[in-house]
Amino acid sequence: MPEWYGSFGGAYVPETLVPALKALEEAWRTARRDPAFKAELARLSREWGGRPTPLYFAENLTREIGGAQIYLKREDLVHGGAHKFNNALGQALLAKRLGKTRLIAETGAGQHGVATAMVGAKLALRTEVYMGSVDMERQKPNVLRMRLLGATVRPVDHGAKTLKEAINEAFRDWITNVQTTYYLIGSAVGPHPFPSIVSDFQSVIGKEILRQSKQAWGGHPDLVVACVGGGSNAIGTFQPMLRTPVKLLGVEAGGSGSSLAVGSASLTKGRPGVLQGMRTYLLQDAEGQVLETESIAAGLDYAGVGPEHAFLKESGRVEYTSVTDREALDAFHRLCRAEGILPALEPSHALAEAMRRARDLPKTARIVVTLSGRGDKDLEVVAQHAPPG
Amino acid sequence: MPHLGETLAARRRSKQSSLLVYMMAGSVPEERFLSTVDALKTAGVTGLELGFPFSDPMAEGPVIQQAATDALRQGFHWPDLLRLLSACSQRLPCAVMTYLNPVLQRGEARAFEEMHGAGGSALILPDLPVEAAGPFRALRRKEKVDTVLLASPATTPDRLSLLVRRTEGFLYLVSRYGTTGAGEGTTPSTQGKEGDLGPLIARAHELRPDLPVLVGFGVRSREDVERHRTSGADGVIVGSAVQTRLSAGRSPEEIGAFVASLLG
Repeated sequence: MPEWYGSFGGAYVPETLVPALKALEEAWRTARRDPAFKAELARLSREWGGRPTPLYFAENLTREIGGAQIYLKREDLVHGGAHKFNNALGQALLAKRLGKTRLIAETGAGQHGVATAMVGAKLALRTEVYMGSVDMERQKPNVLRMRLLGATVRPVDHGAKTLKEAINEAFRDWITNVQTTYYLIGSAVGPHPFPSIVSDFQSVIGKEILRQSKQAWGGHPDLVVACVGGGSNAIGTFQPMLRTPVKLLGVEAGGSGSSLAVGSASLTKGRPGVLQGMRTYLLQDAEGQVLETESIAAGLDYAGVGPEHAFLKESGRVEYTSVTDREALDAFHRLCRAEGILPALEPSHALAEAMRRARDLPKTARIVVTLSGRGDKDLEVVAQHAPPG
Repeated sequence: MPHLGETLAARRRSKQSSLLVYMMAGSVPEERFLSTVDALKTAGVTGLELGFPFSDPMAEGPVIQQAATDALRQGFHWPDLLRLLSACSQRLPCAVMTYLNPVLQRGEARAFEEMHGAGGSALILPDLPVEAAGPFRALRRKEKVDTVLLASPATTPDRLSLLVRRTEGFLYLVSRYGTTGAGEGTTPSTQGKEGDLGPLIARAHELRPDLPVLVGFGVRSREDVERHRTSGADGVIVGSAVQTRLSAGRSPEEIGAFVASLLG
C-alpha cells in the first residue's frame, strides 16, 4: 500500500492523528488478506448494494453523435445512487474491525453522506456528517435522505461553506474524538492510508469494466472517461487499467468558464502544495492560501485532488482536462432525452468530454464513461438553468 | 532579543517556569498588536508565538480560525508578517506558528532566511510530521531557526522518543485530544479528553534532560497553569484565551492583567 505516489501523498497531519492512521493502515493490511472480511464485503456489495452494475451500451446517444460507441458504467444503479457506496461499505467494515462506535464523514454533493448514513444504519454505528451550508442548500434531497437514515447532519458555515470546509471540520472532530470515532473519508484524498484504501474499495468499478468489456466484445475499451473532484470514482475506474493499453481521461470541473475563474480544476489549473494531510495539486494563491472554488456540481467543487491523480498527471499516464458548467448541463439534458437516464451533474462533466471525443473517433472505437451517480439530487439546480434550445 | 529556545533552556536550568503567548498576526491593527506585546512583556511573558494565517487551519478551534479569517480578509501577507516579527522580536523572543503550505510556497530556505532576518528563532507547524521535518531541521545550521515538533497524549512511547530527539528549542506538548481553544467549538465534544501528561513529560526529560517541555491547547486559567506545572512542564502556551480578548477589542492593559493573573 503506497504512502507516496511519486512525490505526492504523505501524511501531513497533527500528531494526535498519527497513531490512528497507523492503526488504520494495519487494520487494512490484515483485512484485505482476510477471507472472511472479503466474503462479507462481497456479500453485502451483491445482496445489499446491487453489484455488479451493468456496462450499458448507449445506443441512441451513440447514433446521435455519430462517432465512437459510448458505453456507460452504471454506478448510478448502486444502492444509494452513486459509487460512494463501494467505499462507505468497505470503510465501515474496517471501522467495526477497529472497534469504533461512531462514524463521521464529510460530504459535498451529499452522496457520500447518504452512503455513510446507510452503512451506519446497517452496521449500527452512530453517524454524523459534516456538510457545507451552501451544499446543504443546493443538495436538499440528500440532506433529507441522511436524516431519514438516522444520521445527524452538521452544517459547516465558514469559508466557501462547501466540501473543503466540511473536510476541515471532520478532521477537527476526529482530532477531538479519535479514540471512539472512525473518520470515513469520502474520496481518495487526505493523509495516507486514506487515498490507497479508497482507491482499493473503488477499484471494483474498473475491474468490472474490464471483465464486462471482455464479455461484451472480447477486448478492452479504447478510451475510459471519468469525472474528477477528489477523484474516487476516477481512481477506482483507472486503477485496474493502469497497466493496460486503455487511454484514460479524467475530467475536472471548469466552473462558469470565465477567463478569471479557476472553477475546481486543481490538476489543470493548480500547482503542488499541502492541504488536508496530502501533497497534491491545489488551487492556491502565490502565498499558499487555498482558493475558493466554484462548480455547478457540488461533488466536484474542491480545491484539491487525490494524490494518485497528481502523480498520474505528472507521469502522463492519464490525461486531464476540464469542462464548464454549461457543457455539463448540456450533456445532462442530452442523456436524459436520448437514453432515459438522469445522470448526476458530476458525471455529466465526464459525459460532455466523452461525447466531444466520440465525434473524432471511428465508429469501431469504444468509449466507457463512468456514470458515477444519478441526478435526482440535482433537479433543483438543473431547473434553475435554461434547458438547451 | 535572545533566541527563544536558548531562553527557555536557560529558564529550565534555573527552574523558572515559562509562559508563551500566541496571537494571530494581522488579526488586529499593528499599533494595537504591538501595544499588547508591550503589555505582555510587562506582565512577565517569556516569549511570543506569532500566528501567520492559513486558509485551512486543521488543528484550530473557532477563535483562532476566526482570527485567521480576519487577518486574511484584511489582506495580511507574508511581508507584513516579517515586518511585525521584526518589531515583536525587539520586545520578546519570537516564534512563528503557521501551517506547512505557506512555508512551502515561500520556499523553505527563503522563509527561514527571512524569519531569521526578522529576528524569529523558531517555527511551529502543527501539520509537519517528524518524518517530513528533515529539510527544515537541516536549515537550522544556517539560520538558527528551530523547528519545534509537537507531541500529544496520543503519542506512543516509541514515537515520543523520536520526537524528543528531533525537536529543536522545545517540545510542544498538546494537552489533550482536540483543537486549540477551550471547548467553545462546533464539534460535539471539542472539549476533548485531557491526557495524563505527567508520564509523557517525565519520559521526555529522562530522554533529554536539557529539553524544555511546554504544554499548550486549552490553557486559560491559573488552575490550568498550576496543573501543568505540577505535572512537570517547564511552561505553558496560551493562545485562544488571549486571542479571544484581543479579537474582542480588549485593551493591552486588560490583556496584560489577564496574563499576569495566569502567572500568579
